[in-house]
Amino acid sequence: MTTLSTSIRLADLSRFQQLLWSLTWRDVRIRYKQSALGIGWAILLPVSMMLVFTFVFTRALDATSLLPTTMPYALYAYLGLVPWTFFGASLSGCVNSLVANRNLVTKVYFPREVFPLSSIGAAFVDFLIALGVLCALMAYFHVRGEWHFIAHPTLLFLPVVVGVQVMLTIGIGMMLAMANLFYRDVRQVFGVLIQLLMFVSAVVVPVPTDGSTLAKLISLNPLVPIISAYRDCVVEGHLPEGAPFVYSAILAFVLMTGGWICFRKASYRFAECI
Amino acid sequence: MSDSVIEFNGVSKRFRLGATHDSLRDLAAAALGSIFGGKKRNSADENFWAIKDVDFCVRRGEVLGIIGPNGAGKSTALKLLAGILRPDGGVVRVTGRLAALIEVGAGFHGDLTGRENIFLNGTILGMKRREIASKLDAIVEFAGLEKFLDMPVKRYSSGMYARLGFSIAAHVEPDVLLIDEVLSVGDAVFRLRCIERMKELVQSGTTLVFVTHDLDQMQKVCTRTIVLDHGEIAFEGSPADAVDRYLSAVSGASSTRPTDDLVACDQRLVSLTDFSLRDEADERTLSVDAGKPTTIEATLELKCRIERLVVEVNVRRALGESVVSLNSGRSDRFYCAGPGSHRIAIHLPSLPLAGGQYFCNVRVWDADQGTTVLDTPYRYPLVVNDGGRATGMFCLEHEWSFCSEPQDKLASETVVEVTSSPTGETHESLPVR
Repeated sequence: MTTLSTSIRLADLSRFQQLLWSLTWRDVRIRYKQSALGIGWAILLPVSMMLVFTFVFTRALDATSLLPTTMPYALYAYLGLVPWTFFGASLSGCVNSLVANRNLVTKVYFPREVFPLSSIGAAFVDFLIALGVLCALMAYFHVRGEWHFIAHPTLLFLPVVVGVQVMLTIGIGMMLAMANLFYRDVRQVFGVLIQLLMFVSAVVVPVPTDGSTLAKLISLNPLVPIISAYRDCVVEGHLPEGAPFVYSAILAFVLMTGGWICFRKASYRFAECI
Repeated sequence: MSDSVIEFNGVSKRFRLGATHDSLRDLAAAALGSIFGGKKRNSADENFWAIKDVDFCVRRGEVLGIIGPNGAGKSTALKLLAGILRPDGGVVRVTGRLAALIEVGAGFHGDLTGRENIFLNGTILGMKRREIASKLDAIVEFAGLEKFLDMPVKRYSSGMYARLGFSIAAHVEPDVLLIDEVLSVGDAVFRLRCIERMKELVQSGTTLVFVTHDLDQMQKVCTRTIVLDHGEIAFEGSPADAVDRYLSAVSGASSTRPTDDLVACDQRLVSLTDFSLRDEADERTLSVDAGKPTTIEATLELKCRIERLVVEVNVRRALGESVVSLNSGRSDRFYCAGPGSHRIAIHLPSLPLAGGQYFCNVRVWDADQGTTVLDTPYRYPLVVNDGGRATGMFCLEHEWSFCSEPQDKLASETVVEVTSSPTGETHESLPVR
């Protein structure tokens, strides 16, 4: 009996994984269908964002003195924008994932977690491409002599950072997907909040650390240690500061578990409420 | 019991009428209300029971048909089986791999090509990618879309779309296949192939649950049928009996009491107050047997006198093709009728129609004035049972004969083998009826 139920669960898991793969692939595929540049957009978007912020914060308004580091601003911004774009794109995918797949939600049964997860999967593909561009960018600054690349052993810690970010994204993404299914207001609110969040997450400008109330509030944001950790591991060559990063990791795990459980519990009502 | 693949025990499903919550504000109010033990709104009258305490089970290899009028709960039952909806009461148990075809091509994406959609939809329906790759040719061939495989499906015609969708589902080879009213699309040839494919699947051990409005098709495929009406099982039994029962539920009322006509009869000179079919024994019936004597009877209510009245009864197939028109004028029958009720009957010594669903209408002319005084819609059903003997429109009385004359050695040997006749010449005659 036990073996039977285990084998059924394994079969379910393999089906789940195949589905996840198919839907992720679909999301990637349709995003770049009927566009001349195709997958090139995955490279062009973060690069052009970086150029915009580099122009704003070095030419229009000089913010380089605020940087706690010596790396070129373009690199600083790009290292913030890549994880940020992964986070933001995943969540905006998640918010719509159930509603946009209404046809599947009401007509076919499979674990509904696949929808937000495949949105995250599709954003992850872009994230990997953008990491490739990061290598090119670092090579560029290295060759120009503005900055010297050193292969720090802390690079090996990067998968842990990505893992924590993915957990956080899954937790928030599942709750958003579910909430937007019941109340379409969520998508609108999300659109505004995500804009605000970008400027308090150390993406293109460092967050204040002066002990003010604002600084204390911002330090609760689990994204700050995660995004800073990318710069620490890749460029600065040291591990992220312990306490804030562990805080983020624990919060990410709790949110993921909680979000998943809520999602599971509510999922049987999706088909009738959508 | 151990043999049953599907169990549906006392299942109920309720839907709320109206929105769940209109806005976040309503939700907040509701949440506060329940926290502070405020009075709960009596929601009994806001609920609608789509399925109410329904019991049935399906054994392996069975083909269960579910029929019923619109809103009877057929699709809800199927969605409960598929796990899309969760019952509010009772237990639904399905054993084995299940594939549900509730809408053809649900999950197709217009921008993806036919090939890409086969892989996508195949995984959605529960196949592995490797499995799909091995069945790709069969799927494409069945759908007849070899030439269009690499075209985005947004450029497909609706027929192509439907064919591809059914073809994928038909190749999943699940243990349980649920099909909801999807074969009404596609041309006649494709529909026939779908039926064949469904029979093949059943032979290979698939259990099928089939929701349809096409009674003819249902009778060809199903071994047992449930009639749902207002969320409850009105009948369970053989497909032929279920059709009778179904028709008494859907159209029984309209065939015996044409209510619209009664309402409007004040304004009309002539109205149809009754339309019925009668069998050999002159009993009212809803379905008649092909080849048996049948009477079609109409009762007309006249408000005035008509000197030369002509009555016509037209019969159409469910899809609208005209089958036959019987006109009293063409038989030189003109009736002189005064105000009051008149019964007019057409006696058919044998009804040579193929099994299926037909609809009749009644027209009445005033031949002197040259005006139409009554022309009803095609709303009076005529259901013919032919025991599955005929397809097409007619069930003609006929006999077969078989006769062969040996021309050379080979041929004569063949005949001997086939018929085991020592003379080498056989003649068989099998009366069909």
